Amino acid sequence: MPTKNMTDERLTKFKNKGKDPAKLREKRITECVELRKAHKSESFLKRRNITLSSLPDEDALSPDYTSNEMVTTLSIEDIIKAVNCECKESQTRGCQAARKLLSQERNPPLKEIIDAGLLSRFVSFLSMDDEPTLQFEAAWALTNIASGTSWHTQQVVEHGAVPAFISLLTSPMLHISEQAVWALGNIAGDGPAYRDVLIECNVIPALLSRISPDTPVGYLRNLTWTLSNLCRNKNPCPPLSAVMQVLPSLIQLLHLSDKDILSDACWAISYLSDGDNDRIDVVVKTGIIPRLVELMSHKELSVMTPALRSIGNIVSGSDLQTQAAVDAGVLNILPQLMRHPKASVQKEAAWALSNIAAGPCKQIQQVITCGLLPPLVEQLRNGDFKTQREAVWAVTNFTSGGTVEQVVTLVQCGALEAIINLLQVKDAKVILVILDAINNIFMAAEKLGETEKLSLLVEELGGLDRIETLQNHDNDTVYQAAHNLIERYFGDVSV
Amino acid sequence: MYMELNDANLQTLTEFLRKTLDPDPTVRRPAEKFLESVEGNQNYPLLLLTLLEKSQDNVIRVCAAVTFKNYIKRNWRIEDEPNKVSDPDRTAIKANIVNLMLSSPEQIQKQLSDAISIIGREDFPQKWPDLLTEMVTRFRSGDFHIINGVLRTAHSLFKRYRHEFKSNELWSEIKLVLDTFALPLTELFKATIELCQTHATDVNALKVLFSSLTLISKLFYSLNFQDLPEFFEDNMETWMTNFHGLLTLDNKLLQTDDEEEAGLLELLKSQICDNAALYAQKYDEEFQPYLPRFVTAIWNLLVSTGQEVKYDLLVSNAIQFLASVCERPHYKHLFEDQNTLTSICEKVIVPNMEFRSADEEAFEDNSEEYIRRDLEGSDIDTRRRAACDLVRGLCKFFEGPVTAIFSGYVNSMLGEYAKNPGENWKHKDAAIYLVTSLASKAQTQKHGITQANELVNLNEFFVNHILSDLKSPNVNEFPVLKADAIKYVMIFRSQLPKEQLLQAVPLLISHLQAESTVEHTYAAHALERLFTMRGPSNTTLITPAEMAPFTEQLLNNLFKSLALPGSAENEYIMKAIMRSFSLLQEAIVPYIPTLIGQLTHKLLLVSKNPSKPHFNHYLFESLCLSVRITCKANPATVSSFEEALFPVFTEILQNDVQEFLPYVFQVMSLLLEIHSNSIPSSYMALFPHLLQPALWERTGNIPPLVRLLQAYLEKGGATIAASAADKIPGLLGVFQKLIASKANDHQGFYLLNSIIEHMPPESITQYRKQIFILLFQRLQSSKTTKFIKSFLVFVNLYSVKYGAIALQEIFDSIQPKMFGMVLEKIIIPEVQKVSGPVEKKICAVGITKVLTECPAMMDTEYTKLWTPLLQALIGLFELPEDDSIPDDEHFIDIEDTPGYQTAFSQLAFAGKKEHDPIGDAVGNPKILLAQSLHKLSTACPGRVPSMLSTSLNAEALQYLQGYLQAATVQLV
Repeated sequence: MPTKNMTDERLTKFKNKGKDPAKLREKRITECVELRKAHKSESFLKRRNITLSSLPDEDALSPDYTSNEMVTTLSIEDIIKAVNCECKESQTRGCQAARKLLSQERNPPLKEIIDAGLLSRFVSFLSMDDEPTLQFEAAWALTNIASGTSWHTQQVVEHGAVPAFISLLTSPMLHISEQAVWALGNIAGDGPAYRDVLIECNVIPALLSRISPDTPVGYLRNLTWTLSNLCRNKNPCPPLSAVMQVLPSLIQLLHLSDKDILSDACWAISYLSDGDNDRIDVVVKTGIIPRLVELMSHKELSVMTPALRSIGNIVSGSDLQTQAAVDAGVLNILPQLMRHPKASVQKEAAWALSNIAAGPCKQIQQVITCGLLPPLVEQLRNGDFKTQREAVWAVTNFTSGGTVEQVVTLVQCGALEAIINLLQVKDAKVILVILDAINNIFMAAEKLGETEKLSLLVEELGGLDRIETLQNHDNDTVYQAAHNLIERYFGDVSV
Repeated sequence: MYMELNDANLQTLTEFLRKTLDPDPTVRRPAEKFLESVEGNQNYPLLLLTLLEKSQDNVIRVCAAVTFKNYIKRNWRIEDEPNKVSDPDRTAIKANIVNLMLSSPEQIQKQLSDAISIIGREDFPQKWPDLLTEMVTRFRSGDFHIINGVLRTAHSLFKRYRHEFKSNELWSEIKLVLDTFALPLTELFKATIELCQTHATDVNALKVLFSSLTLISKLFYSLNFQDLPEFFEDNMETWMTNFHGLLTLDNKLLQTDDEEEAGLLELLKSQICDNAALYAQKYDEEFQPYLPRFVTAIWNLLVSTGQEVKYDLLVSNAIQFLASVCERPHYKHLFEDQNTLTSICEKVIVPNMEFRSADEEAFEDNSEEYIRRDLEGSDIDTRRRAACDLVRGLCKFFEGPVTAIFSGYVNSMLGEYAKNPGENWKHKDAAIYLVTSLASKAQTQKHGITQANELVNLNEFFVNHILSDLKSPNVNEFPVLKADAIKYVMIFRSQLPKEQLLQAVPLLISHLQAESTVEHTYAAHALERLFTMRGPSNTTLITPAEMAPFTEQLLNNLFKSLALPGSAENEYIMKAIMRSFSLLQEAIVPYIPTLIGQLTHKLLLVSKNPSKPHFNHYLFESLCLSVRITCKANPATVSSFEEALFPVFTEILQNDVQEFLPYVFQVMSLLLEIHSNSIPSSYMALFPHLLQPALWERTGNIPPLVRLLQAYLEKGGATIAASAADKIPGLLGVFQKLIASKANDHQGFYLLNSIIEHMPPESITQYRKQIFILLFQRLQSSKTTKFIKSFLVFVNLYSVKYGAIALQEIFDSIQPKMFGMVLEKIIIPEVQKVSGPVEKKICAVGITKVLTECPAMMDTEYTKLWTPLLQALIGLFELPEDDSIPDDEHFIDIEDTPGYQTAFSQLAFAGKKEHDPIGDAVGNPKILLAQSLHKLSTACPGRVPSMLSTSLNAEALQYLQGYLQAATVQLV
């Protein structure tokens, strides 16, 4: 979404012909206050109860390892006793009971276990290489606790779990190593602070060393998810050195075919490209854009969404960065995504388009050539509101930077009519952006000496009525923009 | 100052408050002045609060409440003035006002509620953190008088969420409100609905409860406007189920007998329609499961709601909801059944397009309101407008079937009319209305194609059904149909062929004589619109030659129509007069001697009590046109205008008719500018009055007064120096006042530049240094881009007029080395920001002079600035303008908001030509630079080329060589 400053900046330039198109590009600002529910399409920050891929056969473990209901009935008191006991067997039994308790779907007793002071015990078990079962159960229990709120995660970290988990990564037992991957993923997902703590502890090389041609797919999935969490979050972004470390492996992962790996690797790229142009540059330089563009037509929504998001981020960058995406054929894919049945996809596609349309007229020309205008107008007419909002930005950006001929083409495709109809939306910002677009179109008409003709057209399309009505708008800026348009192009007095 | 909170002060305040209600201005004004003079005292607001709570006299209580509200409105927000509300008072007000508001009777409660929202706008939430919790606590009071007070206050605090732009700050506030308010509001909503059931038979209780529900629904709208909050998404079931229930609810006890005023039930239901429309438009994905139910409920509501005026808002909101839903592709299926469509057309659209008796009353008795609704599109909430929008919405997917249904209707209604026009004229009105709404739809879809849709051929309809009404010899028969016919011409003027329009013109002219206000107003308006139409070569479509046969009749009827009852200040007629003058140009000259008398007479009348700003504006525009057109043909006639106008103007000035002063100054400027280089004594007599500080206090006066003074200086600079030299300090006083203001400093520079340009140099010698010092003071206190731009133009104009040496000397006389500093810190870095061709030219010539005619630039420590200055000048010639503005600067650019300043009404026909003080003396500044450099180089051979080759950058050098070549000179 546009930031406030962005709009203010746009407004000060409201009438200027020589707009700086780079300033029209909008970045995704994730630190924005949100009123809505968190996005359902995003990947999860923390995970509990995922299935380990590398779980050994049941009988290789203690008999009651798997979800055998019979042994889960230990009370918290019994668990405490068992865990604090010196006997390995009861420790294992206590850990296991705790882990099962913590795995229950509803209200796992995270706090009770922490308050019982069991965390330091669990953490100390992690280093017991000769007791793999105990190690594993303790790791699992800690993982579940780390999947809770920030406070829960904090308890795990403060008990020294981070170095312990990192060394556990090298465990020869694949399922124990995988459990550590998962736990670290939960810790990294907590936020930038712990993410950077992990990075400081050299988690990245430790993780990457587990990637080999023989690594099982399931393990790779979890590992990719953990890597993506290490790329995630802003304020601050992950350190550049860490990004450079992780990128080559991410690129490798992106060339696999497993959809879950692809999805999380794409999410990782989308986080890394969600930043200023220097960050985008690092991603662009890997040469991954063509693959991302290819993945934008992946049949799985879970892959296509983050691929689209990544490309959307990249085209919010500089003209050169955008051009790289254009050269990779993004404009050939966008029309089908603009018409995707899911509204959230349409919206992301329209957002990407709006940023490409903010580029120089050469890129705008490619937008036209690749047939983006018909789907754009369709979205303006019939799209979901969120998509319409992005589409309106696309029109405004297009009309700010486009040549007179390009603007004429846009109007001929029906965009003017469509945005005029949208002047009745219940969103002051969108209205203002539309008025800006209308103003831009008038400036193009001025160059052709066809202002009068355009005034007439706007009037015929019902635009004059709507703009006049906006002179009663409670938002001063909207009122003034409407008033200026009326004064300038519909004023009655012509000397 | 401090006022004790004691009885004596309360008594005094009571006395003064009482006097402010006195009808006699000699009693009222001093009391108002007194209150204003003490409002900065500490405790003043607390005294008011005490009075509004405790005074024995109800009138004083209300008066104190209103005074308090206005006081808060003026002073709570601290702008530039000193803070008038002391901090202890602020704290005390915030601590008490909510309680006070809630315990006050309704009249006072409303004022305090407004005050709370003004304070809240500034202080909430940061500086008033406990307001929300305090309010929420009241929800549990169970007293609905108190609850409604809280809800009303919340509504005035939150309603801005409906129109403000998204920002982190705003959303943080909303989030905070949601966290504290959303759940209690939801609980209150549920509890209130239950109470409605418990008290279903108690009409008084129901009334209170239904006002609560309406307020709750309004709050719902505000809180859900910016985005769908998580809380409301999770609780959608509760809200929507209850909203739906309320929509379908009817309670005989709440029905009112009043035909006009909407009852509680109607108000609540229309707000619910709005809420549903908001969700349907913005949160479609989440709202989808509920939508069909709402469509059905609202549809049933429409079919069962009567024609009375009190239902208008409800009906129009309900129709608007259907209109916004039916054009969404995935709800198409709800409407596509042929029976549904027919039923919508028959039961919703047609009945709501009918001309009701209420419309008929408005047409006859309240024509102004009727016109505003029908003509100016302020019919937003009318049934007709909503019905039209629904037609358009349906046409998006069902144009064919809808058109077919309606053509049947149109034909049958026209048939009914033909059978018995006297009885059935309303049928024709409805038919015309249907055609209008359907046909404009067709234009949109076919994108500028002039033919209407299959329903009707616009031209044929004009010939067969419209023209007959226009031609009817009795203009006073069936005035509604006449007005319809005139409106038809106006609306479809671009679609009708020119010959039809020409045929209509004389008919419209004769309708100017109709008794019906609506009818003759529409005729004036239609003519005015036709006269603005443009033909193929961008001239007016209708030419003065084509108008020749009707000119006299047109002017006659227009002026006569101003004498018709109800139209003495009819803005449409006055605008048509202005437009006719503008179209006819020289053709009006013979009529002007008579017409000017009528116009000035009108002016004299309206100046007694200016009440119609548009009428007055067009009146002044018409005066300007008379002057321009006549004097263009014969400049000598200007004196006859002065003779006619000055007596009225004098009266306006003497009576200080504030609304008219900016106009008068503009017309006077126009007149004075027509004079050739001398200034009549009548103007000189007025000169001292124009410098009165009081005039300059009003922002609306400033632009036209500056222009008028500029005209004085241009025509009479020498006269002023010779015979009014004692007024020069006053003139400079005006400059000083303007320059101190960020908003008006550019006006100060306009004035200063005219002084420099037109006053004999010796007349201002003694003031020059002081002028520069003032400018420096302003530079130091608040430097804005606008100021710098104006400053640069002035400095360079000074160099052009008085020479570069004079410029350098005056700077250095203020402080040694000052000139170098100005060059280095201002001129060189900022000159790229100068905008406007004339301004750029002045700077180019001024800088050229500094470079080539100022010895100090060659032989002192200033020499190091010579090349940078030259480089800056070449930049000014060649580089794009630097329109960047520092981030911290709120740029006040008057040019960016043409005519926006509320108090200043610029007259288009008083327009001023752009003035170029350099004029033809310098054709091409680049050549001038080349020639001047050449001259300089011959004076000191070798210097110039060496300075150029050492430090001028290559690109600039290349441009410079281009200029030298073009001027065919060489540097030596």
